[in-house]
Amino acid sequence: MTLARARLICLAVFVLALLAVPYVLPAFGATFWVNIVAEILIWSLLAASVNLLLGFTGLLSFGQALYFGFGMYGVALSINNWDVGFLPALVIGIAAASAMAFVTGIFAVRLTWHYFAIITVVFSLIFYFAAMSTKWLTGGDDGLSFSPPPVIEIGDFSLTLADTTAQYYVILVIVAVAFALKALVVNSPLGLNFKAVRENDRRAALIGINVFRTRLAAFVIAGALAGTSGALFAFFGRYASASYMFYHVSGEAIVWAVVGGSGALLGPLFGTGALIVFRELASNFWENYLLAVGAITILVVMFAPRGIAGAWNDMLLALTARGGRSATTAIATAEPAGDAPDHAPTRSNADG
Amino acid sequence: MADLALRLSGVTKRFGGLVAVDDVTIDFPGGQLNAIIGPNGAGKTTLFNLITGETPADAGRIEFAGKDIARLKPHEIVRRGVSRTLQIKSVFGGLTVVDNIRAAVLTHRRIMAPFRLVSSFASVSARTDELIEEVGLTGHHQTLASALSYGDVALLEMALALAAEPKLLLLDEPICGMGPQETERAVAMIKRIAKRVDVILIEHDMEVVFDIADFIMVMAQGGILATGTATEIASNLDVQEAYLGSPEDELAC
Repeated sequence: MTLARARLICLAVFVLALLAVPYVLPAFGATFWVNIVAEILIWSLLAASVNLLLGFTGLLSFGQALYFGFGMYGVALSINNWDVGFLPALVIGIAAASAMAFVTGIFAVRLTWHYFAIITVVFSLIFYFAAMSTKWLTGGDDGLSFSPPPVIEIGDFSLTLADTTAQYYVILVIVAVAFALKALVVNSPLGLNFKAVRENDRRAALIGINVFRTRLAAFVIAGALAGTSGALFAFFGRYASASYMFYHVSGEAIVWAVVGGSGALLGPLFGTGALIVFRELASNFWENYLLAVGAITILVVMFAPRGIAGAWNDMLLALTARGGRSATTAIATAEPAGDAPDHAPTRSNADG
Repeated sequence: MADLALRLSGVTKRFGGLVAVDDVTIDFPGGQLNAIIGPNGAGKTTLFNLITGETPADAGRIEFAGKDIARLKPHEIVRRGVSRTLQIKSVFGGLTVVDNIRAAVLTHRRIMAPFRLVSSFASVSARTDELIEEVGLTGHHQTLASALSYGDVALLEMALALAAEPKLLLLDEPICGMGPQETERAVAMIKRIAKRVDVILIEHDMEVVFDIADFIMVMAQGGILATGTATEIASNLDVQEAYLGSPEDELAC
C-alpha cells in the first residue's frame, strides 16, 4: 500500500468516526461526550489558526484569542442588535475577526519571533481590557447571551441548535469546510509562499516574494479561522464573553497546536482532541491537572517535536515503506517539520 | 543584453563611523562577465546588498535598465530583473528541490491562486523541470534542500536566481567552499549563463576570476581601487600592493 493511499484511508475512517459520534456515543450511555466532541471540533479551529501561522508561516502568535473574541461578539452583537439569521451572523463574526486581523496584522507582521509574539499579545490585551470595561456593549466578564436563530428554516421545516445531534452536525460541517479550505490554501501557490517565508524570508524576498503581504495574508486567514472558532463557540454556548479574549486562551491554542503537530494539517484536531479529553478525564479528580498538560507539552516538544500528527505520519511511513516504496520519496511527501517547535517549549510550558 | 548592465553613481553606505561603500561610481558593461575583487572588508558584499535593496543606500543612484532602483524594495528589484546568490548559500531547506524552484517560478509569474494545487500549473511544472535540468540537479526533484550536498545547494540557489529570468545576475562567491570538481562544474555553468545574462561576480579565487572575467573592478576600503581587463589588473601596482599587504586574503572566503 502506498503512503498516499494509507493516508486517504485513515482520513476516510476518521471522517466516518466523526459522522458516527452522535449515534455511537449515546449508545454507550455517553451522550454528554457528543458535546465534548463538538467542543473539540470548535476549539481545533483556534488551534488551526496557530498551526497555520506557526507551522506553515513561521510566526508564533500569542494573541489568537483576540480574533476568537471578535468572532464571538460578531455573532452575539449582530443577533442581539440586528436580529440576523444564523448564516449572516456567522459571516459577520468571521468578517469581524478577519478585519481585526488585517488591521493588527499591518503592524504585527513587520516583526518576527519574540517581537511578533509580544505585539500580538499586546493587541489582545488591549482589546481584552477594552471589552472588559465597555460592559454596556460587551457584557464584560458576565458576557452577552442571545438566543440562536434557526440554522435553516424553509416553510415548516427548521433545523435548530436546540437539538444536540443537529447542532453537532452543523458544527462538524462548518469545521470540515474550514479545514478543507485551509488544506487547499496550504497546498496552493499562496501556501507555498507561506512555507518559503517560513523557511527563509531573505531568500523569499530575493525570489520576488513580497514577504510582508505574504505574512499578512497568512495572518488574516489565521484570524478568519480563529473567528470561525469563536463564532461557533458563541452559537454553542449561546453567549459571548470578554473572558475568552484573555491570553490564557491564546496560550492554550498554542499548546494544542504544538502537541498536535504544528507542521501538519490535521495536527490541531489531534492536539485539541487529546488535551480536551485529558482535561475532561483528569479535572474531575485533580484540580491542578494543568501541571500534567505542561509536562505533556514539554515531553512532546522534546521527544516528538512534530507532535502527534508527526509521530502518526512516521508510523504510517514505516508501515508503508515495507510495502516496497522507496524511503526517500516517502519522506519527501510527508510534511516537513516546521522550525517552529524549537522555539515553542519555554512559551508553551509557561502556560501549562 | 544591453550595452550597460548597471550604472552606479556616487553610491555610499555608512555603518556608524565606518564608510562601507564610499562614493562608488562605475558603469558595468553589458554582454559580458564582470567581476569584483578585493580584500576582505572592502565592501563588495555591501555593494551587492545596496544593489538588491536589502540595505538602503545613504546616497547615490543605482541605475538599472535606465531607471533608478535605489529606493525600491528587494522583491521589486527582483521583479525588475536583478537576481542574486548569497555568499552563505541560501535556499528553502525544509522544502523539496521541486518546491524550492516552483516557488520561484510561480512568484516570477505572479501566480498566487489560493485555491489551486501548486502542481496544477503545467507550464510552471515544465519550467521547473527545465531549470532543474539546466543547473544539473536531475534526479533530485523530491530531495529536501537541506539534504543536498554543499555543491548541489549552490546549484539549487543558482536555479532560484535564474527562475526570475533576470537580465542581471549577481553572484557572491559562487564557488567558495567547493571542491575542485564542483568548482569546475560551477565555473562552466557561470560561463554558459554569462552568454545570455549580464553577470557581476564577487570572487576570491584569482585564478578563476582572471580566467573568466572580461571586466574587473577592484575594491578596497569601500572605494574603487582599479578597473580594467584581467591583464590590466594583474599588472596594476596599486592592486598588487593591496593584495601583497594582506596575502592571506586570497585564501579566505
